[in-house]
Amino acid sequence: MSEFSKSLSVSSSALRAQATRLRHVAENISNADTPGYRRKTVPFQTTTKIDGASGLVTTGRVHLDRSDLTAIYDPSHPMADETGHYQGSNVDLMIEIADAREAQRSYEANMKMFDQARQMSSSLLDLLRK
Amino acid sequence: MFTDLNVFQVAHAMATHAGHRQALVSRNVANADTPGYTVRDIEPFSSAFETDSGSFTAKGSRSGHFGQSFSFGGLFGEISPETPADPNGNSVSLEEEMFKAVEVKRQHDRALAIYRSSLNILRTSLGRS
Repeated sequence: MSEFSKSLSVSSSALRAQATRLRHVAENISNADTPGYRRKTVPFQTTTKIDGASGLVTTGRVHLDRSDLTAIYDPSHPMADETGHYQGSNVDLMIEIADAREAQRSYEANMKMFDQARQMSSSLLDLLRK
Repeated sequence: MFTDLNVFQVAHAMATHAGHRQALVSRNVANADTPGYTVRDIEPFSSAFETDSGSFTAKGSRSGHFGQSFSFGGLFGEISPETPADPNGNSVSLEEEMFKAVEVKRQHDRALAIYRSSLNILRTSLGRS
């Protein structure tokens, strides 16, 4: 029985981590046109504890992507320099959408595992009926 | 059948094994995007069972001999299968894990079905329906 509760807590920690990841992807996409915005990435890590609760997924500190900002040519822009360029964001929409799709797939997989552990424990409890 | 009730012990061991494996599969799926995570698994029930008792025929030489290691705690050997890893060091394959999850569910259902059916036989022999 404790195996099932362990399984449920691991799955729910992963659901939370994927949701955090999806939130950062949403932030990146909504700021894709904000000048000077750097895309945020969030790393996943596994917790290892001696007292049983190991394997939980947590998200680490948010990192800002240090790659170069794109220079956009628009002389009429208030932030444009003398060459007519201003600094946009370094968000690549295609990468963000691929990331979002991957997060969704992983979320679904974890949801499936959560559901299965729940079904297994309830069918175990069904033995006590009758 | 009614002296030592082996079938219940085997069904219990099978369900325990499925529970362990379920916890490991969920851990693998949960860490499918964690860099540097390696897949973990336990040996299949049939091989764990065979190495424990020698054969499928019960050797009731002394009480608690049969399936002893399954009875409490359930010590199954943990293995890390050799699977190719991603560039970030993660070796989880979601497809493989889904396959294992279905296998685990079927094994658990089977164990519970065996348990319930044996229980019904016992009940019937006691004259209750």
